[in-house]
Amino acid sequence: MHHRFRPLMTAATIALVAASPAIAEGTIDVAIIGEPDTFDPMISTKDVVSIVTQHFVETLYTFDESWSVVPLLAAAMPQISDDGLTYVIPLREGVTFHDGSSMDSADVLASMTRWVEVASRGKAIADKVESIEATGDYEITISLNAPYAPLMSLLAFSNSAAVVYPEEIIGDEIAEVVGTGPYKLEAHEPDQYTQLVRFDGYTQPTGAAERTQTPDEIRFVPVPDPNTRVEGLLSGQFDYADGLQTEAYDRIEASDAAEPVLLEPFGWPVFAVNHKKGKMTELKFRQAVQAALPFDDMLFAAFGDEKFFQTDGAMYPEGWAWNTEAGTELYNQNDQAKASALLDEIGYDGDPLRILTSRQYEFHYQMAEVARMALEAAGFTVEMDVVDWATLAQNRDNPDLWDIYITHSPFLPEPALTSSYFSTAREGWDNPEKNEILDRFTSVADPEARKEVFAELQEIVLKDVGLIKVGNFNALQGKAAGLEGVVPSPWPAFWNAASAE
Amino acid sequence: MRSYLVRRLVGMVVVIFLVLTIAFVLVRLAPGDPASLMLGPDATPEEVDALRIRLGLDQPIIVQYLTFVTNALRGDLGTSLFFNQSVTSVLATRAEPSIFLALFSLLVALVIATPIGIWAAYRRGSVGDQMSVTSAMLAASVPSFLTGLIFQRYLATDLGWFPVSGYGSPDADFAERMRHLILPAITLGITNSALILRFTRASMLDILGEDYIRTARSKGMRERRVVLRHALKNAGIPIITVVGLTFALLVSGAVVTERVFNLPGMGNLVVNAVLRRDYPVIQGTLIVVAALYVLVNLATDLLYLILDKRVKY
Repeated sequence: MHHRFRPLMTAATIALVAASPAIAEGTIDVAIIGEPDTFDPMISTKDVVSIVTQHFVETLYTFDESWSVVPLLAAAMPQISDDGLTYVIPLREGVTFHDGSSMDSADVLASMTRWVEVASRGKAIADKVESIEATGDYEITISLNAPYAPLMSLLAFSNSAAVVYPEEIIGDEIAEVVGTGPYKLEAHEPDQYTQLVRFDGYTQPTGAAERTQTPDEIRFVPVPDPNTRVEGLLSGQFDYADGLQTEAYDRIEASDAAEPVLLEPFGWPVFAVNHKKGKMTELKFRQAVQAALPFDDMLFAAFGDEKFFQTDGAMYPEGWAWNTEAGTELYNQNDQAKASALLDEIGYDGDPLRILTSRQYEFHYQMAEVARMALEAAGFTVEMDVVDWATLAQNRDNPDLWDIYITHSPFLPEPALTSSYFSTAREGWDNPEKNEILDRFTSVADPEARKEVFAELQEIVLKDVGLIKVGNFNALQGKAAGLEGVVPSPWPAFWNAASAE
Repeated sequence: MRSYLVRRLVGMVVVIFLVLTIAFVLVRLAPGDPASLMLGPDATPEEVDALRIRLGLDQPIIVQYLTFVTNALRGDLGTSLFFNQSVTSVLATRAEPSIFLALFSLLVALVIATPIGIWAAYRRGSVGDQMSVTSAMLAASVPSFLTGLIFQRYLATDLGWFPVSGYGSPDADFAERMRHLILPAITLGITNSALILRFTRASMLDILGEDYIRTARSKGMRERRVVLRHALKNAGIPIITVVGLTFALLVSGAVVTERVFNLPGMGNLVVNAVLRRDYPVIQGTLIVVAALYVLVNLATDLLYLILDKRVKY
């Protein structure tokens, strides 16, 4: 029996190995870090949800390559009243949803109403929205009770996004997402792929960069293991891979099959401060922590090579309109003696400083370890609470359980999108002076004036230790050699992606 | 025989019920809230509470347990919190890669382990025997993720012989899906061959020293027939036991290999479900795995009947 089966098995194995995978022409395969848990970007703030859904659902406005707000489903920028309270938004005509229906102001009204009711970013401004009305078949008017300059950025952001759905599908939950984007959802096999195909009824926006719909299909493949994403990129299985380990940079660069895409800088690791309860509610204690921390060492431990980080205390890096040096003399003091003196001044009793972190992102843990050593050298008792991400996500909502938790964020195009500045965030930073600055920042419309107010905000972040920014870090993505048309971004889009071959 | 089967099936129900209860308690003892995870980092506590109500997580634990048990008895393992699909349909989609991966890797393991195990026992104490024992220890000692990474890098990325990961594109046919299992199956097969090799060798050594083997030889029977017909058949029972348990383990627990090769099997599913705190999927998977173990044990015991006429139940 053994002899009879052997040739059969050999032939079967050769046939399986030799069979080349059937790949549709013009397909872009993208390795993403995990499975999007919803296709409704209104109810999620996860980047992976934004990356996928921006291809099939659209907002009234979007950002261009320089992070300026430009129209997408809107026909033009809004007419804003002199008092900054009324936004009249003209809508594009002839826009078709994937179900064949046409978009008009009734759809936008229903979608915007849902956004302020269910989206975390929408709800954050719900108290400022006096009304949302359809003032024409293709016109929507948003009335505010106080000027709110970040409104346009909120309407443009793809995360907790103010996307437009057909009125008919609007509800607390949307069972099947229907959008207007250049691609439509063809198939979804959880933990395997999300398959998008070109939407033939798409009409190009008038303001945003053209969506050329170059690929026939875009497939997003969740690949949780970062090493597998690298191997898939280098083997040609993926045309683009998100969230790669910086250790893979040299190998990708040396490869003929792929090129590294470095987002420089990508974002900022942050030690979120508990202002509601515990030791960190005391200013001098916070200042002692700030004084003790060696940010350069923490960044080096976390990222290993200066190619991947910058020791920078400004909330926005050079090249951004919001960049300012205000208050940065308090950054990276690395002065344990000063910290120790501050602790003596307040009669520190040795109660542990609890740092909540996770190894989901290894660099969080590595920064925490270096911070712990510096803090202990300054006389702090440090208690590291290293948990899985699920536990961290739950525990950080309970102010009794932590003093500092570690997270990170990409640089967002509008500072007001960073929730930590607001007293309503879980950190609860409720400093009256900061609140007054923040109110001014969100109500002033003039861009130059806003920059000046932001400098005040940054200064008080550092002086009052509202949060502790560790520095800037770069993110690594990778693309197949010759792939063009993908703008490096935390939320890369593939509607213009094309292979040079 | 019939009463034996009835007893085993009743025992199976008891085991599954105990697993079901333990699974329910354990997953809820773990900290971490599925609603917080699903909504993302900027969700407000009010949003999290609203989602908890929608998912039924606000109900008292005993109510959740009774609902779970009642539904499970009707074959309804609940709805995945993450996928918003029934757990049975989620598990059904994961069964194909897991079962075929288990079968292929078991085949690889048997092809490697059985002949070497027989030969090593037959040539006991020889250099070849020593080498086979050492190789088996090495295969058992190297973690499958390391073997997988090495194979992935050199055989898939550099040589392009196999796909790096996944289970095929949306338009993949059966052959292409199976092609994606070759490298993971070799990885797992090598690791698991060590145990089967050791069992085969030890079992064959016992049998080759038996009187009836000497009798067969003294009657002038050809050595090949003595080893393969008489010795191997009687050495088969312990080998079948370990093969059966290995199969159950491979179907349910090829976690690391499935992770490295990004296969959408049961192992990957349960790891993701734990990370997502997808309680119904964790519970459903544990029930299926418990049932699988009990069934494989039962099948193994029944196989004894076929192989050894002296066995009676």
